[in-house]
Amino acid sequence: MFYIHQTSCITAQQSFVEPTLRSITESVENKLYATENNYDSIPPNVLRRLGKAVKMGIATGNEVLAKQEVDGIILGTANGGLEDCIKFLNQIIQYQEGRLTPTNFVQSTTNAIAGQLGIMYKNKGYNITHVHRGLAFENALIDVEMLLSDHPTNTYLVGGVDEISEYNYTIEDLAGSYKKEILSNTELLNSTTDGSIAGEGAAMFVVNTVKSNATAEVKAIKTFVTKKTETLEKELSQFINTALPKGEKVDLIVSGKNGDARLNNYYALVENQLKETPTTYYKHLTGEFPTSSAVALWLASMVLSRTEPLALLKIEVANPIKNILLYNTYKGNQHSFILVSAV
Amino acid sequence: METAELKHQVKEQIIKFLNLISVTPADIKDDEPLFGEGLGLDSIDSLELIVLMDREYGIKITDPKDGRKVLTDINTMVAYIEQHRTK
Repeated sequence: MFYIHQTSCITAQQSFVEPTLRSITESVENKLYATENNYDSIPPNVLRRLGKAVKMGIATGNEVLAKQEVDGIILGTANGGLEDCIKFLNQIIQYQEGRLTPTNFVQSTTNAIAGQLGIMYKNKGYNITHVHRGLAFENALIDVEMLLSDHPTNTYLVGGVDEISEYNYTIEDLAGSYKKEILSNTELLNSTTDGSIAGEGAAMFVVNTVKSNATAEVKAIKTFVTKKTETLEKELSQFINTALPKGEKVDLIVSGKNGDARLNNYYALVENQLKETPTTYYKHLTGEFPTSSAVALWLASMVLSRTEPLALLKIEVANPIKNILLYNTYKGNQHSFILVSAV
Repeated sequence: METAELKHQVKEQIIKFLNLISVTPADIKDDEPLFGEGLGLDSIDSLELIVLMDREYGIKITDPKDGRKVLTDINTMVAYIEQHRTK
């Protein structure tokens, strides 16, 4: 399908600069906040106006766009800069629909990140943001796949970003998305209770159809919506049969298991269906957020391109890894498979 | 309120409204231009300052020509506030 050339990622862990993932940053009151010491590349006059999602998106975007030019920018975010959006809505009430400060409004639209990157790099090409909740990033990848099919000589920036906003945390908490008890992320994967912990982050990729010097290949993507495990089982068989080249196998599963007991049956099904395949997890490092699969793709790309192991992932595979299956479900409703392969 | 005290307050409000990271009231000189050179503010900031004048002092600047004169520097802002404030 297409090849990954540049990657960049901000999470709660050390993933941005020298991403070793050796020591773990712990959650605070069921929230894993992304680190905020990565904004040197953003001019101070721009930085002061940005909310966290936009800052993370631009910082990761800058990291890869400094190395390679692109013909378009395609991002996925479920909520964009929601914190600033709520500030703006509150001001409408507080000041009785009088004069409002424009900054919060300008920077809170979901397309603010892609738009700002377009302005900063004078990129007037395709610029879009997909917002389909837990499949926003996957839909950005599908969009890139279609674009590269039509314009095979082009190069694109594709990525996913979401932030923890106070408003969204409260709504999701009331909806039962997060654990009632305070639980450290180090215990998340062993948890037997409902809910997960909140997370945030951004991951960006420069992709095109050029194989040479690529770090990984995105071979196939499948998204679907279901609550039924039977459908998941059928979709997985179909995906493996059609996406995996003959004679090859999945060497590693990167599972989106998030410690929510209600979703364990989906993740267990995938692991059981590929019994011989080792599995690694990442949501104890990132927390749960709608575009966390962008971080999973970054991790897969790192695993395939690095000689030094990423200690926190605890991957024990005897042979070199060629094919990685990413599986994620958002709330047991939106599901995605992504097959990533070594080049 | 004494003029010097008002100037300090306006500087603090500018820093807060415009989220001027790492700027203190002492860094903003009374006769230094707010836009372009000096503090280096831009057109979005001018809208923020107009909203600041409205919210904090009840002053509505509706004519862009007035805005240009009023928002020249701290001295002009404070002089205008002293003459026209409604709260």
